Amino acid sequence: MTKTIMIVDDSATMRQMVRFTLETAGHQVVEATDGVDALAKLNAQKLDLFITDLNMPNLDGIQLTRQLRAAAPYRFTPIVMLTTESQQEKKMEGKAAGATGWIIKPFNMEQLLAVVRRVCP
Amino acid sequence: MDIAALQIKMRDAFRVEAADLLAELDSSMLELESRPQDPDLLNRVFRAIHTIKGSGATAGFNEMAAFTHHVEELFDEARMGRLTITPEMIDLALKAKDLIGRLLEPDGAATLEPACAQVVEALAKFLPHKVKPSSNGQAKPGDGPSQRQRHKIFFKPHPQVFFSGTDPVNVVDELRALGEAAVTARVDGVPTLESLNPEQCYLAWEVNLLSALPLAKIKEVFLFVEDESEIRIESHLEPASSEAGEAGPLTAFLNIAAQSLEALSGFLPQLRDATEPDLRCCKNYLRILRTFQAAARHQGQEAPATLVEEQIQLLEEAVTSQAALSDEAKCDLAEGYQKLAALIQSVRENNQRGSKLAILPTLPSGAASQPAASAAGGSKPPALRAAASIRVDQEKLDRLMQSAGELLVARNAFPILAKRLALEHGLSAMGKEVKDASNHISHIAEDLQAAVMSIRMMPIRTVFQRFPRMVRDICRAQGKEAELLLEGEDTELDKTVIEQIADPLVHLVRNAADHGIESPEVRVEAGKPRAGKVTLKAYNKENNVVIEILDDGAGMDPARLKAKAVEKGLITPGAAEAMNDRAALELIFLPGLTTAEAVTDISGRGVGMDVVRSNIRQLQGTTTLESRLGSGSRITITLPASLMVSKGILVEANGEAYVFPIASVVQMVRLPRQQLHRHEQAHFATFRNEVYPLLRLADHFAIKAQSGEIAWPEEVAMAIIQTNQGRVGVVVDRFVSDVEVIVKPLGRDFANIAAFQGATIMGDGRVALVINPAGFV
Repeated sequence: MTKTIMIVDDSATMRQMVRFTLETAGHQVVEATDGVDALAKLNAQKLDLFITDLNMPNLDGIQLTRQLRAAAPYRFTPIVMLTTESQQEKKMEGKAAGATGWIIKPFNMEQLLAVVRRVCP
Repeated sequence: MDIAALQIKMRDAFRVEAADLLAELDSSMLELESRPQDPDLLNRVFRAIHTIKGSGATAGFNEMAAFTHHVEELFDEARMGRLTITPEMIDLALKAKDLIGRLLEPDGAATLEPACAQVVEALAKFLPHKVKPSSNGQAKPGDGPSQRQRHKIFFKPHPQVFFSGTDPVNVVDELRALGEAAVTARVDGVPTLESLNPEQCYLAWEVNLLSALPLAKIKEVFLFVEDESEIRIESHLEPASSEAGEAGPLTAFLNIAAQSLEALSGFLPQLRDATEPDLRCCKNYLRILRTFQAAARHQGQEAPATLVEEQIQLLEEAVTSQAALSDEAKCDLAEGYQKLAALIQSVRENNQRGSKLAILPTLPSGAASQPAASAAGGSKPPALRAAASIRVDQEKLDRLMQSAGELLVARNAFPILAKRLALEHGLSAMGKEVKDASNHISHIAEDLQAAVMSIRMMPIRTVFQRFPRMVRDICRAQGKEAELLLEGEDTELDKTVIEQIADPLVHLVRNAADHGIESPEVRVEAGKPRAGKVTLKAYNKENNVVIEILDDGAGMDPARLKAKAVEKGLITPGAAEAMNDRAALELIFLPGLTTAEAVTDISGRGVGMDVVRSNIRQLQGTTTLESRLGSGSRITITLPASLMVSKGILVEANGEAYVFPIASVVQMVRLPRQQLHRHEQAHFATFRNEVYPLLRLADHFAIKAQSGEIAWPEEVAMAIIQTNQGRVGVVVDRFVSDVEVIVKPLGRDFANIAAFQGATIMGDGRVALVINPAGFV
C-alpha cells in the first residue's frame, strides 16, 4: 500500500537516494532539509513514516523526534533514524527520544526498503 | 530508471553537493584555526565531513568515504573535547579536504592512493591510541543453517512501546513470515476496562516457530525492540530430542511447565465464563494441574507444586459435588494461574541468565555525555543558512533567459507598429490602442526579465570564499603575515560572470599576496604593521558591480616597469622617457611583462595581467590599476551585473545603427560647433570645462580614416563614453532612443574584434552593432 514518507536530511544526495528508492517502491515522499524544515512541512498531513538524519543544522534528528512525539498526530508514527556505525550512543539517545528504529549508513535500496517494511508494513 | 542509471545520477548529485560542502569546509576550517575551541565551529566542520562521508558512501564513493572517515575521527575527537585543534592539524585537514575533492573525479581513487595513505598516517599521529575492538568472537559453531529448528519465542513489549512508533503486531507478523508459526497472545496482563490505558501495551505473545533460518535471523526481527522488551527464545532441533535427553532436568521441567501453562490458559476462559456446571472442563483443568504437580515434584520444584495444591483441591471439590464453580472459586483459579505463570517465569529467568539463547536487555552503556553536541546547532552564522532551493539544469535556465530576453526585444516592435498605424494608415485611435496594449505587455516582460535575471544572480561569496585559504597558504609558504578582509560578499552577479571572474581574481589576489605584501621584517623596517592587509571588496555602483583588490604592500615602481618594458623590447627607450607614471603603470597589462624578481611557483611567469584584462574585457568589464610605491596597490574591476539583456543607447552614424551600452555612456550632449577644436591631427571638444578627445563614429570604423579639416555641422551630437583610456567624446549623426538589447556574439571569425561586444537585432528587424567601450579606442 502506498505510504507517505518524510525524509529529513541535510544532504541532498541522501534525500535523492531515499526518494528514488521509496518512489520506485510506490510510496510518496516528502523532503525536508532539517528538523525545522520538517516541522514546517508537517501541516498536520497524514504521514506514515519519518526517516531522519541525526546530525543536522538548526534542529537535529533527536530533537525532531522529541518534538514529533509531543505532537498529537505523530505520537505513534514510526520514526527511523539514519545513523552511522560510530554513533552508538546517539542511537540510544534517539531510542530514548522515541525513535522506532534505525538504518546504518551507508545502506542500499534493499536495506532501506526492508526497514520500511519492518516498521510500517 | 535502472540501478546503474541511478548510480550515475546519485554520483552526479553528490559531486554537486560535495562541492558546496568542501567550499564550506574550507572557510570553516580556517575560522577554526583562529578559534579552535569554538563548539559551534567544530560542529559545523564535523557535520560537513560527516555528511560527505555518509552521503558519499551511499553514492558509491567508497574509497573517498573510507578516507574521509579518518578526517572525521580527528574532528570527532576535538568535538568531544578530547583533543585541541592545532594549525598543523588544520594544514593536514585542508590537504585532506583537497584530496577528497580529487577523489571524486573519475579515476581519482586509483592515482591518489599514496597521497591519501600519507595523510591517513599523519592523521593517526594526532589521534589518541585506540584499543582495537576485539572482533567479538562472531564465529558461532552451533549456528548451522538449513536444519529446521523449533523456536519457542516469548515477546513482551515494553508497556510504552507505542510511543516509539512500534506496532508490536508487526514484529509478530514478521516472525510469522519466517516459517511455520503458531502464535498465542497472552492477555493475562490486560486490566479491567476502567483501569485500562489505551495507549499502553498490556499484551505479550508466544510464538512457536518452526524455521530453517539461523537464530540470528530470528533475533534480527527484534532489532528495534530488544533493548526495552522482554524477549526469550528457546531453540531446539527438530525433531525435538525428546524431553530429557541432554537437556538438564530444569529445562525439561520448564518445557512441561510451558506446555501446562499453555493448556491451562486455553481452558481458563471457558471455566471462568461457564454459568452451567462444566464437568468436562473442570476435569481437564484438574488433570493438567495434577500432571504438572507430579512433574514439578519429580524435578524437585517444590514451590510450584505447592502453589497448585489449592487449585487442585478446589477443582476436586467441584468435580465431586458436580456443582457450578462459585464466582469466588473462579477468581481463585484465575489468580492461581497468574501466580503460577509468574513463578515459572522467574524460575525460567534464573535458569537462563547467562545462557546464550536468551536475549537479555542491554543497558545503555553510560548516559551519553555530550552536551556540546546538543547545545550546538542552534545559532548558525548567516553565511551558511540553507536556502530552500532547487537545482535546475543550467540549459533550461539559459533557454528561459533567452526567451525572456527575446520577449523584451520583440515588444520593441509594437511602438513602431503603432506609429505606422497612425501615420501610414491613418488609424490613430487604433494606434493608441496598440500602444496601450504594448505598454501592458512591456510591464509584464520587464517583470519576467527581472525575475529570470534574479534566478541567475549569485552572491560573489562563492568566488570569494576560496581566497582566505589561498592567502593563508601563500603566507605560510613564504613566511609572510597577511590578513584577508572580505567585503560585500553578498553582492550579486550573473552566474556566467561569477564563473568567469574566478580565474582573473585568483590571479590578482595571488599577485597581491605574493608580490604586494612584503615579508614581516621589511614591513617593520618600513614602519608598517608586521601583518599585511589584502582587501577584497565588491559593491554595486549604478548598473555595474565593482570589485576592488587592495593591498597595503610594496606598490609598483613605474621606473622599474618602464625599464623592464624597454629591456623586453616592448617599448622604445624614447617612449619610456615620455611616459608619465600613470601610463607606466599601464605597462603591466602588456603581454610578456613580468615584474617578479624571482619567478615563484605561486604567481607563475608573466602570463599575467594581460590575460586578466582580456578575460575581464570579454565580460564587458574594465580593469584599472592604481599603485603607490611603498604603500600599496588597488585594482578596480567594473563589470556589468548581467550579461544577457542590457540597456543601451541606439545611435546612427553614416546610416548604420550602433548601440552604446548604457553603462558606458556618461552623458549625451549637443554641442555648438564653436566648442570643437583641432590640434594638429587630433580633434577635441570642450564641455563644462573638460576637454575630451573627439572621434567621429562615422569615420572611426571607416577603412580610410579621415584626417585634416572636418566640416562639422552647426551643432553636433556627442556621447561622452567611458573607456579604458579615459573619457572620449564620440560624435554621431543622431541619437535614436534607448533600447533593450540581447547581445549576440559576432561569430568565430569576428570574435577578436575588440571594438564590438557583438550584434543585436532591433525590434524592427534591423541589425545593430553593440560597441564595446573597453576595446573601442
